[in-house]
This record gives sequence, structure tokens and C-alpha cells, in this order.
Amino acid sequence: MPVWLREHSWRQTLSAVYLSLPLRGARATPANIFCSEQYLKVSIPPFLFEAILYAPIDDTNSTAKIGNGSIFFTLYKKEPAMWDSLTLANADKEKLQYLRENAVLKAHEKAKEETEAKKVTKQEHKKYALKATMKLEEAERKRIEDLKEKERQKVTKELELWKNQQRDGDKYKSIPKKGELHQEIEPLKERKTEKMNKTQIPKEGTSKTRLKSTKGCHASSCIFSENLKEEQLPAPRAAATIKVNFTPRVFPTALRESRVAEEEEWLHKQAEARRIINSDLSELEDLKEEEKNPDWLKDKGNKMFAMGDYLGAVNAYNLAVRLNNQLPLLYLNRAACHLKLRNLHKAIEDSSKALELLTPAVAENERARVKAHVRRGTAFCQLQLYTEGLQDYEAALKIDPRDKNIEKDAEKIRHLIQGTMQSS
Amino acid sequence: MSAAVGAERPQVVSHVQQALSYTVFDCKWVPRSARLLCLGSAARGTGIVQLYELHGARLELLREIEKPKPIKCGTFGATSLQQRYLATGDFDGNLNIWNLEAPEIPVYSVKGHKEIINSIDGVGGLGIGEGAPEIVTGSRDGTVKVWDPRQNDTPVANMEPVQGESKRDCWTVAFGNAYNQEERVVCAGYDNGDIKLFDLKTMSLRWETNIKNGVCSVEFDRKDINMNKLVATSLEGKFHVFDMRTQHPTKGFASVSEKAQKSTIWQVRHLPQNRDVFMTSGGSGSLHLWKYEYPAQRSRKDSEGCEMGVAGSVSLLQNVTLSTQPISSLDWSPDKKGLCVCGAFDQTVRVLIVTKLNKV
Repeated sequence: MPVWLREHSWRQTLSAVYLSLPLRGARATPANIFCSEQYLKVSIPPFLFEAILYAPIDDTNSTAKIGNGSIFFTLYKKEPAMWDSLTLANADKEKLQYLRENAVLKAHEKAKEETEAKKVTKQEHKKYALKATMKLEEAERKRIEDLKEKERQKVTKELELWKNQQRDGDKYKSIPKKGELHQEIEPLKERKTEKMNKTQIPKEGTSKTRLKSTKGCHASSCIFSENLKEEQLPAPRAAATIKVNFTPRVFPTALRESRVAEEEEWLHKQAEARRIINSDLSELEDLKEEEKNPDWLKDKGNKMFAMGDYLGAVNAYNLAVRLNNQLPLLYLNRAACHLKLRNLHKAIEDSSKALELLTPAVAENERARVKAHVRRGTAFCQLQLYTEGLQDYEAALKIDPRDKNIEKDAEKIRHLIQGTMQSS
Repeated sequence: MSAAVGAERPQVVSHVQQALSYTVFDCKWVPRSARLLCLGSAARGTGIVQLYELHGARLELLREIEKPKPIKCGTFGATSLQQRYLATGDFDGNLNIWNLEAPEIPVYSVKGHKEIINSIDGVGGLGIGEGAPEIVTGSRDGTVKVWDPRQNDTPVANMEPVQGESKRDCWTVAFGNAYNQEERVVCAGYDNGDIKLFDLKTMSLRWETNIKNGVCSVEFDRKDINMNKLVATSLEGKFHVFDMRTQHPTKGFASVSEKAQKSTIWQVRHLPQNRDVFMTSGGSGSLHLWKYEYPAQRSRKDSEGCEMGVAGSVSLLQNVTLSTQPISSLDWSPDKKGLCVCGAFDQTVRVLIVTKLNKV
């Protein structure tokens, strides 16, 4: 149940009503006051003040002043008349209710209208602002264009002026070209008048555009003395050659051609491969230190291959592979041994493994890849799988088109294939 | 068109644009005149030389000369002002010097290289500098040869790879340091990023370095002074400015580098009237105008007491995009400050005016 505030006091004039409402200590904000044409309510929970006014008031212009623990209302009457009392005396409950609701509705409508009006004005303001900015920008743009135009015209004018100077200068230049000896010079506006004949020594300091071949002029550093200068020119230089070296690079391609990423990958892979030691320590314990080094074993294998001891070489390579199965050269060389031993399938296997390990394909491992292809090709051919062999030879040729032996062998294989096709 | 209109910044104004019916590889102003030359290659595989004159707002074709082989580059650098003969290098490796008044027979001709002459430069002519007029050509066959027009058939200097060395294309050459009759230096840039400086007085390699990306263009700021600055441009939008006054025994020349745009920088040209201003042209059809500022101290002593150079800084004055195709050639007029011509691969040649260079 709200607590009614009833200690209000009021007085009136013909056009206004002044109502003072003490608040009993409650604090009021504008949100607590609700006023419509004929209904006034102040609700500060738990306090409540309500008044159905005697006559309608102009609620838009009326004011409420909050301060000093009370609210002071200044209500302007719609019709100037003296009220008998502040509120309607005989107001039964239903009427009160109806009036309240009405008041609220009216207030709502008004609020809505106000927002609509505000929106419309806002739109108009926006449009206006936009137009104004557009105009400003147009003006700015025009100003810039004008500046540019002015520059352009100024510069064109200057150019024309300069050109005319050139043209006059050229007129003089053409005279000696035609081989005329006497030189008549028309006085130019921009230069001092000067008459020149053969006997007179030309003045120094004239403009650069004058080019006259002179006779008998004294040596000077200006362009008039071109003839004299020629005699002073040094003889042609003694011929010499300077040899140059170009910047060496690990990969001899310029940055734009380089396949740096792949080359890096290859280098990285090689470095990794070197570090791997897949060891079966138990078996290898009785080996000497150097025998555990795959490189040393590879060298040993190479020596044995050179001497013809293919089995020994294979053994060496096998051990090396057991120690480090990522080195492509081991497989490559083992494939060569198997070829010699006519273990053709093993040769093919090893060359394939070598090729696998020789990715990515870069300039560094070209030689190795060519060898691998050739060895595999040979093995295929010896197994009479000529088409596969030809494929490998062609791959080798693609990597290294200049090797004549590979070309010859490829040709031979092609003939063989054609021969067998014809006969079968 | 130009970027912002700052009150003091130079503007690049496009004055004339001329569409051509052939690919233009090089464009050059004829000294002491308002005429310019365009050199290039027609679709039928012949070389074209066109002479235009600037008339108001348009270019008037004065003369067209057709030659059997496409022409890649040309220079007026080694002729006298009266003669103004054009030296050209063509796709076949021939160096020819033409008198444009009588272009049927060349004044000088030699088959200098086995492959296309990529770049040519001349020194000693035009009343600039001293010493004998000489022409240097750099070719795809990896050699750089210096020619004297008074000596037929053999070059006066030949910079070639050592026997057995794989050759790299030479993309650009430039003369420099020609401040008296004996001194002369040739700088060559190669496609693997090598820059080599040859001293012609001692006939030796004076300095070399590698800037990783292929060198498209090198130029000294002035040919006829004690070498001061060298700008080298490369692929991938970088260029390096070397301070050539102080050479350190191991570290060479100090440099500052700048990455201007994503694409190749095809050409660099210094303004003839101000050696600290230069323009670079790019593969995206843009031109950048730069100014070099010297450092407070151009050289200092390093830890061992050797002199070493200090590079300054480069600032961008203006940039403008004119075309969608690379601007492959650029030339400032030696007579009018700010007038320049550029030729692009969209078969147009443009005459531009750069304003406010006085205030730079």
C-alpha cells in the first residue's frame, strides 16, 4: 500500500496553478513525475501523490522544479479560469480509473509522436549534412583541378618559349651544315645584338644554343673550339682485355631462377642422413671403429669394385646400409655391383631405392640421378624388359641431354623394341 | 595523375602521349633541340628509328628510318654537338653509329657481340667531360666492350668471362669518373646481381659486389666528375645508391637501399641539372622521383683506421602511375629542366614535365 502524500499546498492565478508538494525526505527524479492533460502523479515508492485536476492544463509547457525536499509544479491552464479546487471533488473510483488510463494512453501517444517527429528531423538533418559535405568536397576537387590546369598551362607556355629559343638556335646550326662560309646573324630579342664576320673573333659567353663553326678562334674550353679539341683528343686506348669471374654460388643460378627451397631441403636431407646411425649394436660390437663409419665402408666398397671384387664390394655396401640406410650413394654403388654380378633384380631394387632417396630433384644430385636411371635401364634391358629400360634411359637423357653414350644406348634399345614388335 | 597537391612537391604533368605502331625499347632526346628519338622493333622483326619534334601539345613525326634488325638501345653520349650522331645497339649484336641526316649507311659499324646488345652508353661527347669519345656496350653474351669510333673492328677494352666460366647476361652498362683525359670507369650490371666496376685507366677490375637480384639499370649521377654516386636498380623493386667517394679495401662502397614497389625497376635516370634527384621507372607503369640527402659526414674511420664511406638517405618526392605496362626507358632533356620522355611497353611514348624542381 503506498503512502499518500497529502500535505500539498497550492495557489492559482488566472492562467497558472502553482502546486507545492513536500516529499517527506524522499528524493525525486524527473522519472517519478507523470503528468498528462488532466492527471498528475508523483510516485516515489513507497510514496504516492495523485491528482485529477479540475481542468485541463497544458502539460508540455508546465514545469516541475525538484529541490529542497519538495517539488514545485507550475501548471499552465488550458483555459484561463479560476478553479474552485485543485482536484475534481466528486470522483468515484471508476471515473478515476478511467481517467488514469486515459491519461497514460495519451501520454504514450504523445511520446510516440514525439519520437516520430524526432526521427524525421534527424533524417532531414542527415540529408542536409550530406549535401553540405558533398558540396565542400566538390569545391575542394575543383580547386585541385584548377591548380593542376594552371600548372599545366604555365608549363606549356614555358615549353613553347624554350622551343622557340631552340628553333632560332637551330637556324644558326643549319648554316654551317650547309657549308656556307659567311654567317649572317639576325639579332635575337633575348640576346645582345652581335654581328660577326670572318675576321672578328667571336665573343665568349653567348648562349649554348648558338653553334657556329668558327675559323681562327683562340683555344678556349667552350664548344666553339670543337675543331681544336679534336686534335687534342687522346689517341684511342690501347686494346686490353679484363677477365672477370662471376659470383660463385653453391647453386649457380641467380636468385630469380633458383629453387632455393628445394635446394635447402636437399642439403638438409643429406645432413640428416649423415647423422643417422641405425645400429644393431650387438652385432656390430666386434667391428673396428672405422668399420662402423658408412663413408669409410663406401670408400672400401668403391675400391673393391674398381679392383673387380664385386662380392666384397657388395658386402661392404651391405654393412654400410645397415649402419645408415639413408645414403643414396650406397644404393647406387651397390646397384652397379649387382649389375656386374648379373643380379639384375637386385640391381633394379637398389637403383629404385637410390632414386627415391635422391628427391627433391636439384642440380646437385643430377649426376647421381643420371647414373641411377642408366643402371636401372641397363638392368631392365638385360632382363629383356626393353620398354621399361627405354623409359629409364629417356629419363636419364632428360636430366642430361648432352651425354652421347646414353643417347646411343637409347637409340639401340628403340631399334631393339621395333625389331621385336615387327617380328612378333 | 599526380598524388596530393602539396604546395612545394614537384608534380609530374603528362604533356603529350603518342601511340606507336611498334614496340619502343629506348627513347632519347636529341641534344640541343626539342626533338626526340624512339628506337624499337616493329612487328615484322625490323628495327625502327623515329624522330619526333615537340610542337605545342603534340609530337610531329619528322622522320622514320627502318633497319634490318630490331634496335634495343641508343645513345648520343659519344658524339660532338655539331654532328649528333646516334650510336645504337641492336638485337643481333651490331653496334652502329648513324648520321640521322643520311641514315642509309652507318658512319661506323661493327658486329661487336654474338648476342643482343642490352645496353649502351657513350662518354666524351656533347661537350661534356674530357677525353676521347668512347662507347661501351653490354650484351647477353656476358661481355662488356668499349669502342672508340676512330678504331674499327676491335674494341679498346673487353671485359669477358674467364675461360670456362659460365657466362651471365650483362643487362646494363654505364660510364663514370671521366673527369680528365685519362680517368674513366665502366660499371656493368649482370642478371645474377653482380655489379662490377672496371677502371679503364689501369685496365683492371676495381670493385665488385652482388645485390642478389638481377641488375636492370646502373647510372652514375654524373659521368664527367670524380665519381660521386651510383644508383643500381634491380628486380623485385629494390634499388641501391652507392656512395662512390670512399672505397674501403674490403667493404667496398657504402650503400643505402630502398624498396620502392613490388615490380622490377627498369630504369634509373638522374636529372642533368641536379645530380641528387633521380627518377626510377617501374614494371607496374609507375615513375618515382627521389632525392638523395647526404649524411652529415660522408666518410668515417672504422676500427682499423681505414676510411669507409657513409651512405645518406633517399626520400620519395613524388610518384605517379602512367601505364599498366612497364616503363622501360626514360630520358631527361639536358636542355630544359624537368622535361622528360618515357617509353613503355604499351607502345606509347609520353612526354612529361616535372614541375617545381627548382625548389627541391
